[in-house]
Amino acid sequence: MKLDVRGEICPYPMMKTVEVLQGLPEDDILEVLTDHPPALESIPFYVTRLGYRCTIEESAAGEWRIRIERAGLGG
Amino acid sequence: MSSVVGSTMWRHPLARLLGVGAAALLVSAVVARLTARTDARAATFWLFGLAFGFVLQRSRFCFASAFRDLFLFGHGRIMRGILGGLAVATAGFAVLMQRMVPNPSLGVIAPEAHVAPLGAHLILGGLLFGVGMVIAGGCVSGSLYRIGEGYVASGVALLGIVAGLALGAHTWNFWWRSSIRGGLVLWLPQVGGYGMALVVTFLLLLGAYLLVVWWEVRQGFRAPEPVPGPPGHTFGERIRGALRAVLVHGWPASAGGVALGTLNVFLYTAHMPWGVTGEISRWAVGLLTLVGWGPGLLQGAGELSGCALVGRGGPLLTHTLTLTLGMVAGAFVGAQVAGEFRLRRPRERRRYLQALAGGVLMGYGATLAMGCTLGAFFSAIPSLGANGWVFAAALAAGAWLGVQVLRRIP
Repeated sequence: MKLDVRGEICPYPMMKTVEVLQGLPEDDILEVLTDHPPALESIPFYVTRLGYRCTIEESAAGEWRIRIERAGLGG
Repeated sequence: MSSVVGSTMWRHPLARLLGVGAAALLVSAVVARLTARTDARAATFWLFGLAFGFVLQRSRFCFASAFRDLFLFGHGRIMRGILGGLAVATAGFAVLMQRMVPNPSLGVIAPEAHVAPLGAHLILGGLLFGVGMVIAGGCVSGSLYRIGEGYVASGVALLGIVAGLALGAHTWNFWWRSSIRGGLVLWLPQVGGYGMALVVTFLLLLGAYLLVVWWEVRQGFRAPEPVPGPPGHTFGERIRGALRAVLVHGWPASAGGVALGTLNVFLYTAHMPWGVTGEISRWAVGLLTLVGWGPGLLQGAGELSGCALVGRGGPLLTHTLTLTLGMVAGAFVGAQVAGEFRLRRPRERRRYLQALAGGVLMGYGATLAMGCTLGAFFSAIPSLGANGWVFAAALAAGAWLGVQVLRRIP
């Protein structure tokens, strides 16, 4: 699943990610597209608590793709 | 649309730092030339502003999210950084203030220390400011540095702050007479000397830290997986890795907090602790006066320290102006160097309204509290004034209220 939160002000990139994540099917991966730098620190910090892990890659100047997937069982 | 300066030569962060940094230093030289007779500090304060803005941008430091995320996401990542910065600044301020006022029991408060009267105005100011910063998505310093990063909504928030301060100026005399004038001014060193004031402040900071950690654990804290360090073992690889850590990746919040606390001590040695709302109120009152709608005499405001309203005129180009504009420029430098600068426009119209309304609340709240998260909190607690703690508690309550409102705005 993909979520585009570009342009959004703080804290909506985080809030919307969490909202979508809570309805995400077990085996699906969420891809968040954001241009909000603080989200790069706060999203990993928060989703870890929900049992997810994420990887971040820069997709353009000042724009990142955050891949969020369920952390391995027992991990 | 890539906003990073075009050609490949500018791809390297270090090259961008040298390029944009040189431009910022050139402005400093121009400011020094222009203000040599009127305000000799203006050029130095431009440099301070650059440093503050750069650190804020690089560490993605945001006072609004520090308070808000405790309630919205149950974590205190940035709040722990702020507490670290407060500890550093408290030690530094105490040394400076002790030099200026060796015997605090005589009744003189250290010059420029952010010590303000306590009272209902301070609590109401903190509440309004707390709600406003959460709704607008950033406090005053947050809005300033995000303008430098290209956030259009933060510019709208700043307009709201100016409007709120203008509104505050028009009602100032009422608040002065009914609450501020009679408020107790409690400077901790006057009660039991610097030693006691330091012990009390450090114990309170430790207490706040323990409270934050307890709260995080209660909310189900899990540390995120550590990000692997930069690859490479050779000298060149390691230096490149360090450069990327400083210039491209976001700094840890604790590094940001400690850097800002240290800068605040240096700024105090140069003249005064860190604050911006006093200066922005000068713009608000100046604009009002220009259109013939000035607030007239602001009773007592001139006697107050910290970031109380500034009504008097004086030259346009002052060190407080260059400090404030320098913060915007410093954040712009940081964002350009990291390759993060871009114009960010919210797609939903209501975000602009949110930013404006939040800004007005912040401006009015900052009038009552005589400062924002910088002047009335980050500089007030190290000034060893009781007002910093009262404002912080009210800010936290306001942030909680703001989160309740925010959850209802899709």
